[in-house]
Amino acid sequence: MKFVIIFIQIIILYGFYLAGESIRTIFHLPLPGSIIGFLLLFAALMLKIYPLRWIESGAHFLLAFLSLYFIPATVGAIEYGNVFTGKGVWLIAIVLVSTLLTMAVSGLSSQWASRAADQRRNR
Amino acid sequence: MNVILLSFLFAGLTIIFYLFLNSLYVKYRWTLLTPVLTTTTALIIFLLLFDIPYGQYMLGGKWIGSLLGPAVVALAVPLYKQRDLLIQNLWPVTLGVTAGAFVGMLSGLLLAKIFRFSEELILTVLPKSLTSPVAMQLAEGFGGISSLAAVFVMVAGFSGVIFGSWLMKLLGIDSSIGRGIGLGSSAHGLGTAMAFEYGPKDGSMSSVAMTLCAVVGSFLGPALVWLFF
Repeated sequence: MKFVIIFIQIIILYGFYLAGESIRTIFHLPLPGSIIGFLLLFAALMLKIYPLRWIESGAHFLLAFLSLYFIPATVGAIEYGNVFTGKGVWLIAIVLVSTLLTMAVSGLSSQWASRAADQRRNR
Repeated sequence: MNVILLSFLFAGLTIIFYLFLNSLYVKYRWTLLTPVLTTTTALIIFLLLFDIPYGQYMLGGKWIGSLLGPAVVALAVPLYKQRDLLIQNLWPVTLGVTAGAFVGMLSGLLLAKIFRFSEELILTVLPKSLTSPVAMQLAEGFGGISSLAAVFVMVAGFSGVIFGSWLMKLLGIDSSIGRGIGLGSSAHGLGTAMAFEYGPKDGSMSSVAMTLCAVVGSFLGPALVWLFF
């Protein structure tokens, strides 16, 4: 019975995704359909239009194996091995530098904002 | 062999490799044993060994890949459950995530431009700070290469996990909010796994940041592409 519920809920998640894809196509949006579907579900949950328990086990089941779903695509890197010979190696350095920069900016700014908010609260 | 049988074979093979290597990761918890990395490597070796073209593997592979879209939708559930944490820290989260998504995309774009990489590769690197399923769909939408985008996402994740604790110590990022948002905004899922090692609040913050970054990045990415190309 539990698996039937999970299965039905995954189909509902698929429905949200397809709804997002249709909205993207109809309005020519540059957003991925999955993100539109995500926003639809999040809004439905926040506005209490759709109850959490009708989606929760399906979502948990699907997310438990999240990394599985993009493995077939990552295997596709097999066809682009030549990108990383020669100059392409620099892309790895670029990603490294950019990642650390991102961590520094997001970490410092959020920490600063949260301490500023705490001080205001304590004053 | 007929197509349906092959499809089942490759889909099944992917799942079996994944479940086995994932159990290895669960047992030892080494970052290098991350199932995406080990399963991808194992499958690539398998395909090369038996001389199977990628297109043939994808007969079954695309079945598994079709769960990416609904999985992104499912991310709304953990975010909804953490809504109190989000609302309590709305300003620091919004600031950190927006700044992170912006710097993550713009710095990658500019650096790759300075090194004169092709437009296709720049567009592939662009979404690397976002969680893989979203990064891949964005890269594809921009005209980049989605499978390479996933590779850069992994490089970003490993960069964050390997140098994160050193960098955060250096910069004095020592609060749950700072660490969580820093890791989630730059190193997505891998960063979030590391944030949970600092503590449950760090981890929750990181997963909130990862999800919100994917949303903000989905709006910001197309804007940057429109601006620069």
